[in-house]
Amino acid sequence: MKLYKKEGNIVQILSFPNETAEKGDYLLIEDADAGKALIAQVIDVQFASIPGVLEELLRSLPDGGEIMQGEDFDPLEIAPHITYIQDASLLVCKIRATIENGENLSPTSAWLPSRSQSTIKKLSIPTLLKLARINGELPIVLGGTKDASLLTIDASSLDGRLNIITGKKETGKSHLSKLLISSLVGYKATVVVFDLNGEYLSLGMTSDGKKNAFYDKIHVLTPAQNFKVALKQLNLHVLLEILIHALHLPGTSAREFRRIWQSLKERNMLTLHDLGEAIRNWHCNQHVRDALFSRYHALVNSGFFTDNVAEATLLEECLFRAKEQGGAIIINLRNTSPIDRQIVVEYLLGKLVELLTGWKLKAVFLFAEEAHLYLRETYWDDIVTRMRHFGIFTTFITNQPDTIRENIYRQADNIFLFNFTNEHDLEVVSRAARVDAETVKSIARDLPPHHCLVLGKVVRDFPIVVKIRALDVKTMGETRLFFKTDQS
Amino acid sequence: MIEQYTITTTPKYNFPQKPTDTTLPQRLLELSIHSLKHIQNQQIQLNQQPIQQNNKTDTQIHAPSLNLKPTLIPIKPKNQETLVAAVDTSSIKIGETKTGALIAIRGATIWKQNKRYRYIRLGPFIFHITEENKTEVYNALQRAYLGQQNEQNHNYTPNTAQMPTRLATLLERWLQLTTAKTMSNSLILLDGSLTAGTPDTPTNVMREILENARKMGNTVLAFSKMTTMRFNGNLITDILPKITPPFMLELSGLRAKPPLVSFGDIYVARLANGNYAFRLDIDRELPNQKKVEAVERLVGNDLLAQGYPETLRLAHILCTFTANEVIAMQHFITRRYGLKIINRPDMHKLLFGPFGKGEANA
Repeated sequence: MKLYKKEGNIVQILSFPNETAEKGDYLLIEDADAGKALIAQVIDVQFASIPGVLEELLRSLPDGGEIMQGEDFDPLEIAPHITYIQDASLLVCKIRATIENGENLSPTSAWLPSRSQSTIKKLSIPTLLKLARINGELPIVLGGTKDASLLTIDASSLDGRLNIITGKKETGKSHLSKLLISSLVGYKATVVVFDLNGEYLSLGMTSDGKKNAFYDKIHVLTPAQNFKVALKQLNLHVLLEILIHALHLPGTSAREFRRIWQSLKERNMLTLHDLGEAIRNWHCNQHVRDALFSRYHALVNSGFFTDNVAEATLLEECLFRAKEQGGAIIINLRNTSPIDRQIVVEYLLGKLVELLTGWKLKAVFLFAEEAHLYLRETYWDDIVTRMRHFGIFTTFITNQPDTIRENIYRQADNIFLFNFTNEHDLEVVSRAARVDAETVKSIARDLPPHHCLVLGKVVRDFPIVVKIRALDVKTMGETRLFFKTDQS
Repeated sequence: MIEQYTITTTPKYNFPQKPTDTTLPQRLLELSIHSLKHIQNQQIQLNQQPIQQNNKTDTQIHAPSLNLKPTLIPIKPKNQETLVAAVDTSSIKIGETKTGALIAIRGATIWKQNKRYRYIRLGPFIFHITEENKTEVYNALQRAYLGQQNEQNHNYTPNTAQMPTRLATLLERWLQLTTAKTMSNSLILLDGSLTAGTPDTPTNVMREILENARKMGNTVLAFSKMTTMRFNGNLITDILPKITPPFMLELSGLRAKPPLVSFGDIYVARLANGNYAFRLDIDRELPNQKKVEAVERLVGNDLLAQGYPETLRLAHILCTFTANEVIAMQHFITRRYGLKIINRPDMHKLLFGPFGKGEANA
């Protein structure tokens, strides 16, 4: 390989047919005299612009588009040299770092290695990981890299971070989420999952239906079934958030509701029945009463609220148990209507903030699948800024990257990117601050299923392609198919 | 000991088995390898602009009273199946060493049969030509290819700059001779004219080519892409009657200036629509009717884009060196003979900037 060109932080390297390098590979461009080396990643492989190639191709097909038959008497055997030159490729590489004295890494690309004297060789992922010190005390093995080595990230690099897992359908996003969740739980972390399709319900089961090591740490809460809330436990602030944001209660009516609530609370009458009666008998405008009634019925019909305090203790119990020994609370939103979903999410986030503010919980890893379906507009910024300080560290999982706001991408610390072919999707993801657009667009487009481009702090900003390892977990949330024959 | 290569004849196109002919590529190869052996581990300065040499103009013929015969010869395409063959060669200078120049030559024979083009391509043969070895190389090849020394001057050797063209011409004449001997009842197209008597084209060689062609029932047609012949101050190929092609105009009043000898009758041929006409030489010894019929069969059997035979065009294309091939040959000699490529600045460009057009065009 030969260094051909450097423009900004892009280097172009001429590679010959016997030197194989593919997208995603790392190269070490070493200038021994300067005592420095560049670490560059191949982001595109192109044909080298060899003069005369067009003529060469044109003259091989002059016979009506078919290859002309003939004999070449080539005693000096020049032909292999011609194909050798013709098949030369140009590796477009992004400079990721400079290494000085064999160990000091810096993210600079400000120096120019010698074109004639530099040696270029492939940098194996284990060597890169060693140089970049991507290891740690809490290893999470994500899977295998192309050179058959394992990519291990540190669980603490997810701590306090905002993560995004994205890719098109059926590329392995949920699989990676499950891997991260189970690994975090293994390190006694508290994880909350908004499970939209019931995919995480069997996280505690092996693929053949047996209990796995996490069985006792996976707590599935289904709203209106084993997950209910008593009005007495509710903070007025949380309920108002639900009424205003999930049920769109106007301001005037909200003011009246506040009065009703305080009146009932003073009399220790915070029950569903008493709330209904209070609204019915409250002296207020008829329209306000109607508005309050309609929201009251929505709350009642959700089945999420109860007067029985004993029925409504599971969430806190699970969270406290998880705090002690680690655990994942799976909020099963599979059969929940969109409005009820928002009610549940509003409640849960409010509850988490309440528990975290009072230091009853240390921190929570929140995994939110297709969050745009239940997260109100104003919560996005809240989650990535305010709630992060309380200790809610979110991982968004989506196959529609444009449903996540641009500012979320900008603040994302880690991105786990699966295959995307759509230009628009790639364009959206490439707005992330921790990655350059060329890398995203070039590498993500060619990722096979279950292969993930890991970007961000977990890999110390050295994008690495990894095949996510298999996980012995019972698959749930599979798409129901019309033509699929019943196996049983 | 000179390195030996085993040469096998192709099953599709058998060259005659005369001793001089079978030794041809072998001798060429031996000389190539022999010349290259002396450059081991030298430095090589690549040509800034490799000079491709396969453009041939017609040889100047004295034309004191040149006339275009008023009679126009209309051409009626004859579709009678006829094999059309063409020969061309090319040479290129690929670099310079301290003692000489590295050159490459290649030749191609193309033929069209059953509406399909086929080819045989010889080369590239790479030579290291120095002042010391140029005579040996040239004469050895002349002996091997044509079985003779130069008839005008036994000690004749071209200067080093002329060597690429001279070596390519030697290969071309041999290919023409071989084609004339092996093909039968065919049309053989040559690039250039049928004028002989130059160091490149000795009279006896051209005579032998034409005699052998006639013996085998072949007709030799030579197309010149460029001509310097003028009539009333205009190039003969620019004087075109407003008649729908294909047609030919015969030139008369031509006399080759000794030692030049013209073996052909000269025509201006416009064989397809478009404003392109070419000087066409046809073997003079053939009856007039056969000459015209040969052109008619050519028009009926070959493609004539812009009035130039496709077979001849392909011969040119196949032997021409592309930039890719030049790089490959440079790669070959650096790997095989340990040459070190150096890149001295082009003094013309260095001194004159954008006004320096490179040494090739100086």
